[in-house]
Amino acid sequence: MAMNREQTAGASIRISRLEKRFGNVSAVDGVDIDISAGEFLALLGPSGSGKTTILMSLAGFEFPTAGNIVIGSEDLTYVPANKRNLGMVFQNYTLFPHMSILDNVAFPLKMRGVAKPERYARAEEALATVRLAGYGERFSSQLSGGQQQRVALARAIVYRPRVLLMDEPLSALDKNLREDMQLEIKRLHAELGITVIFVTHDQSEALTMADRVAVLKDGRIQQIGPSRELYERPANLFTAGFIGEMNFIGVTVESVGEAIAVSLPSGEHWNVPSTSAVDPLQAGQKAVLAVRPERLQIGGEGAAFAFHVKLADIVYAGSALLLIGHLPDGTEIRARLPGASDLSTLTPGATAVFSVPKEAILLYAGGAK
Amino acid sequence: MTSGIRSQFWHSDGRRLSGLSTLLLLLPFFAIIAFVFVYPIGQLLWISFTEPKPTLDNYARVVTNPVYARVLLRTLWTAVLVTGLCVILGFPVAYYMSRARAAVAAFVGVCVILPLWSSVLVRTAAWSFLLQRQGLVNSGLMATGITSEPLKLLYTQSAVVVAMAHVLLPFMILPIFGALRSIPDDYMRAAAVLGAPRFRTFLEVILPLSLPGIASGSLLVFLTALGFFITPALLGSPQELMIATLVSQQIREVLDWPFASALVGVLTLFVTLLALIFSKTLRFDRLMGAQ
Ligand SMILES: Nc1ncnc2c1ncn2[C@@H]1O[C@H](COP(=O)(O)OP(=O)(O)OP(=O)(O)O)[C@@H](O)[C@H]1O
Ligand SMILES: [Mg+2]
Repeated sequence: MAMNREQTAGASIRISRLEKRFGNVSAVDGVDIDISAGEFLALLGPSGSGKTTILMSLAGFEFPTAGNIVIGSEDLTYVPANKRNLGMVFQNYTLFPHMSILDNVAFPLKMRGVAKPERYARAEEALATVRLAGYGERFSSQLSGGQQQRVALARAIVYRPRVLLMDEPLSALDKNLREDMQLEIKRLHAELGITVIFVTHDQSEALTMADRVAVLKDGRIQQIGPSRELYERPANLFTAGFIGEMNFIGVTVESVGEAIAVSLPSGEHWNVPSTSAVDPLQAGQKAVLAVRPERLQIGGEGAAFAFHVKLADIVYAGSALLLIGHLPDGTEIRARLPGASDLSTLTPGATAVFSVPKEAILLYAGGAK
Repeated sequence: MTSGIRSQFWHSDGRRLSGLSTLLLLLPFFAIIAFVFVYPIGQLLWISFTEPKPTLDNYARVVTNPVYARVLLRTLWTAVLVTGLCVILGFPVAYYMSRARAAVAAFVGVCVILPLWSSVLVRTAAWSFLLQRQGLVNSGLMATGITSEPLKLLYTQSAVVVAMAHVLLPFMILPIFGALRSIPDDYMRAAAVLGAPRFRTFLEVILPLSLPGIASGSLLVFLTALGFFITPALLGSPQELMIATLVSQQIREVLDWPFASALVGVLTLFVTLLALIFSKTLRFDRLMGAQ
């Protein structure tokens, strides 16, 4: 949406075959990402997956071992950080403690030789954009964490960069503030039409904020796509387990045809539609059947996709009920049901029947766990 | 059983010391300060006002005789020069240490601290050896043709300044290093992304943030330099007394304790005033990140 409006505000980014090694550690291992102008991309991955290293290469603090980075039409791979004209917000605010808030925000303009009256006027304006008008006289120690991060945001956009990089900018804030700031950043992104790359290891943050999410593991892209696609059809077992909650059931493929016949550890045989298979499968092979806990329904004995689970625990959590049970082979099964579900006949120790809508079933090649 | 005792030492949250244990921990320090500092200084100042009779005469002598005023000014000026030289020599070393890899920084750190293990006397003697007429410095200057005959280096004010700066350098380097080390790398990075070339980053961010270190180093060096005795006595010119030498003369040769005390009194007054001005103008609290 922001993409086709105001072509000049954001720049497109092309990262090709990016590699970065530290000694024999491969921090980034052949990453390709194309980001369109004005897009909001989240880099999501577990600790050590190379998110920061990619951002550092974009910002110019690290030079890659191989590959290149083109922003707009310029190859910036080896351009020093201070000549890239990118905006960046760090995890720990990094407001200069010896300067007033106004001087902090005016700093990048000062570095660009903007005359004093104009740079203060523009700094005031940027502070107003992040709703901190009138805070210019203060020092960073007199602001809350959320306010400091908003100042950092103002400082990063005051010189109108075409790309804004953020490395876990909200992880030092508490939950409420974090949600406020998420909205604030979304609003700024929509207002300015700037291209945003946002690093986080909080998946819900990535899913709610970004146009597209790139999932990283061990320096490689696992999947890149819109939130919905990532959640509903993860491209591999890693993404399936990393994003949201997922039940993984080890199954054996019996035959492959119009439908795929699989046998479950609990004894049932299912004829799963072939569209459920994310990976190509062959008869006789081990496979993993994945289904989200909130897609399980209680009851449905005799339905096409029903199975038996021995319940271990029933956890009441207000709006939702969490049922935890096991299959005969020990596989843990979780089901999230609406809080008002009628479970009168179910107690821990009992055997429950769950059914699954066919579009909620995913099949991957490989063994469980 | 133990909880009663423990609660005397810790607040119930277990994180802050109780008033009692704070007192117990600080007591030895304040006791020493009281006995070896406050008491003798108080005694000296008392003498300066009361002997031979309650009077301000001793101070009148310090102020009215230009010789003493000149000694005082020379002392202050020497301390200023020593401090300045220490900043100039010390900052680059501290900066290098703060940027170097851990092992290199540790090595340089040891080199900085090592001289502190030899006595001031030894280090001063080394300088008098270097600076004498046939010393290494003069022969070096002549060998390179910079001068044709040996210069008078020893027993000059410059010799005193250089040697004192050498002796006091660690006290400058360590606080500056501390301040530089506590500047997070992200500040340099932030400055760079915001468009600052290295030199601007240094001027606008690193230097101002290291000011508390420069200030405390300067204060340490300056105050120590004011009271320096051995180096001026061994390397300085007898015609250019510094205050410590003067006080010592008054006490040991002239046996004029009240006048020596008045000299100490004037020096103490200066030092206090300077320290106050210093901390007010530099806004230590702001630099330390206080509210
Ligand atoms: N300067 C460095 N020297 C050596 N190894 C490094 C360096 N920087 C990163 N690494 C290594 O590269 C890998 C990727 O690190 P990176 O900081 O990019 O991960 P990350 O995804 O940002 O993790 P986190 O979520 O913990 O911030 C890690 O294995 C890390 O140990
Ligand atoms: Mg990181």
